Amino acid sequence: MSDAMSKPRAARIAINAGLLLFLCLYALIVLIQPNYLEPGLFMNFLRRAAPLVILAAGQLYVILTGGFDLSVGAVVTFTVTAAALLTNGDPDATWPVIALLYLMGAGIGLFNGLVVAFLKVPSIIATLGTMLWLNGLALAWSGGAARGDLPENFRNLGRFQWRDVALVGTLPMAVLVLVAVLALLWWGVHGIGYGRRALAVGDNPRAAELAGIPVGRTRITAFVISALAAVTAGILLGGFSGVSVNAGVGLELQSIAACVIGGAMLLGGRGTIWCAVWGALSLFALFTLLNLLGLPQALRDSIQGLILIVAVGLTAWRSRARN
Amino acid sequence: MTPALDMRGICKAFPGVKALDDVSFDCRPGEVHAICGENGAGKSTLMKVLGGSYRPDAGEIRIDGAAMRFAHPRAAAMAGIAIIHQELSLLPHRSVTENIFMGHELVRPGFAGLLLDRGAMRARARVLLDRVGAQIDPDRSVAGLSIAQQQLVEIAKALLLDARILVLDEPTAALDDRDARQLLDLIRILRGQGVALVYISHRMPEVAAIADRVTVLKDGRLIWTRPQAEATIPAIVSAMVGRDLKDFYPAAPTAAPGETVLELDAVQAEGLPEISLTLRRGEILGVAGLEDSGKGQLARLLAGDLRPAGGTARLAGRPMPLGNPRRMIAAGLGYLPADRKREGLVLRQSVRDNAALALRAMRPAWARPAAGVFAPAMLDAGLKRMDVRAAHFGQEIGALSGGNQQKAIIARWLALDPAVLLFVEPTRGIDIAAKAAIYQTMREVADQGRGIVVVSSDLPELIGISDRVLVMHRGTIAGVLPRDPREEEIMQLSLGVSV
Repeated sequence: MSDAMSKPRAARIAINAGLLLFLCLYALIVLIQPNYLEPGLFMNFLRRAAPLVILAAGQLYVILTGGFDLSVGAVVTFTVTAAALLTNGDPDATWPVIALLYLMGAGIGLFNGLVVAFLKVPSIIATLGTMLWLNGLALAWSGGAARGDLPENFRNLGRFQWRDVALVGTLPMAVLVLVAVLALLWWGVHGIGYGRRALAVGDNPRAAELAGIPVGRTRITAFVISALAAVTAGILLGGFSGVSVNAGVGLELQSIAACVIGGAMLLGGRGTIWCAVWGALSLFALFTLLNLLGLPQALRDSIQGLILIVAVGLTAWRSRARN
Repeated sequence: MTPALDMRGICKAFPGVKALDDVSFDCRPGEVHAICGENGAGKSTLMKVLGGSYRPDAGEIRIDGAAMRFAHPRAAAMAGIAIIHQELSLLPHRSVTENIFMGHELVRPGFAGLLLDRGAMRARARVLLDRVGAQIDPDRSVAGLSIAQQQLVEIAKALLLDARILVLDEPTAALDDRDARQLLDLIRILRGQGVALVYISHRMPEVAAIADRVTVLKDGRLIWTRPQAEATIPAIVSAMVGRDLKDFYPAAPTAAPGETVLELDAVQAEGLPEISLTLRRGEILGVAGLEDSGKGQLARLLAGDLRPAGGTARLAGRPMPLGNPRRMIAAGLGYLPADRKREGLVLRQSVRDNAALALRAMRPAWARPAAGVFAPAMLDAGLKRMDVRAAHFGQEIGALSGGNQQKAIIARWLALDPAVLLFVEPTRGIDIAAKAAIYQTMREVADQGRGIVVVSSDLPELIGISDRVLVMHRGTIAGVLPRDPREEEIMQLSLGVSV
């Protein structure tokens, strides 16, 4: 009885833990740089965090179904390089190229999903393979260095800000994109039955299959959504960081770490979109904090690794404590 | 005689529940002492205390008269206690010998103890396997062994450590009658060798056949401990449930069965050379057979888990595609697996989501998750009709008892209004009161014009519930018996002896 009662409570705590962590970290930032309390700087913080949050929210779909998507960083890199090479600075090409980028993203996600669902390759290997061939392709296409140019209207998606907006002061376009994408991804997990199917598949694929759930289709959909989210993140990153062949390096692990820190279960079957959101914001707040403290860039990776271990350890400990 | 095992006044509380309340239990060398009780009565907790997994809040454990305090399961093992759990703990891809010697490998003298003495281990393993009556090649990998054989390997492993107190937790639950009888014979041999045996089982005839003494637990308290002569099956059952059990199996239907609802015509599949059968509306068709008789394959075939090599199937008058669960469910079939944890439940999801799973699979993915047929009130109504007991239906299903989980899965299928339900081992690991409720439900579901196939190793259950019993032998149907067959008739057919 008692452990039956404590379960829903534990799930609630898991979600709030991500939010709590974010608030603590942001409070530390404010302690060092009080002007982070100004709406303008907060908006700017959200703008810079937007790609990671979007990536994590897409990654969450794959994690819910019990997999990983290690290819999202490569998709970001590929998106930025391809956008620069295809538009080559021509503003008229922006929208057709964006449409093409999403098509390519859908294709990559479909490829990942088909390999996992039909060849039964573990997702960690399948997407590792995709990460490698996609990174190679981006390098070969660009000749190893950033080439081409992004037109102004393309970059504005990540960079443009409306000034003198009521309440918030400045309003970056990236924040609007973030809110719209999150609303869509929230709907996919919580607004329709798909999310419950994904949770069932991640929890027990065999039971799901025997109950009639189209397990393959559910997994493929998750990979497509993750790749499309990665394209979106790539477009935003290209906007404010410019063209680089390193644009997506490390983002795959950051997005997975974000979901886990937020309380999603690593092997599937438990998690909400808020796990991704609060987890990603916490991680980004941590990076900001480390920057403000003047720690070298290299330590970011070390600290991220430690945090990931602690987060997964805490999840395991929580579930053990429950049993 | 000093008892080999003496547990006195054991108490163990978990937040909000008293799992064991002043329970005393002892077992002498050369004695089989059975523990009976419904799920949640405290049997497992008591054994976990004995095995060193839990530390008791109060009470003491004496082994051969000496007070013991186990800080760790390993300490209990070193004290001569071996517990064979329902879920076996062997490593599937290691050989039988490697499993038996896991953590206690023999090494060659010299070489700083770095070289394994495989020859000695193999020879020793052979002796131990002989002692448990298992004809298994010690070099085989465990993955290829039947459950019964794996269990014997577990017991051999316990004997290696010279276990003098052997706990068997539902050892026959996954075995068919022949293997179960063999295991009971082995238990008698071990008893003769002076091992103290603690036997936990839901199967009353076995308890009556093997136990020297019986202890009944209920709600964490000791009801009584009696010698065999005073522990009759009705006495045990009424002590377990706290009341007398009447109408354990539902009465036969009054109406004659209706039209044919399921038809297999010359279906061939792996392990099933050729099988034809019909099932009518309102009928409960039992499927009996020994472990390798093909009844498991037939169950897999009807669940969509086995691809057919030929033949046709019809369900409710339409052709049914075999080999694809989703399309078979769409055609009107529902499957309740024997292994609920592995094949039936999504354990981390709520009771409600588990009950909605099949419906969720059949409705579009973009249907709203908690509206219309998925509205909590609708799902809860289905669960309440099945009398599923939970703190609330938003609770994770993993916390429910086996009986309530099974009822929730029945609710899952009834939500789709299927024409045929396939039950495999419908009451495995389920306590007696819930069993009666599940049999009652099966009858009601059939009376509503559905067909039911029950595949079971539990003969009294099959006889009690089935309108016809189909007996499998070597992948074919050895015979079909009308309602109320005798156990001997079924056994003769399953052994391939003509009646």
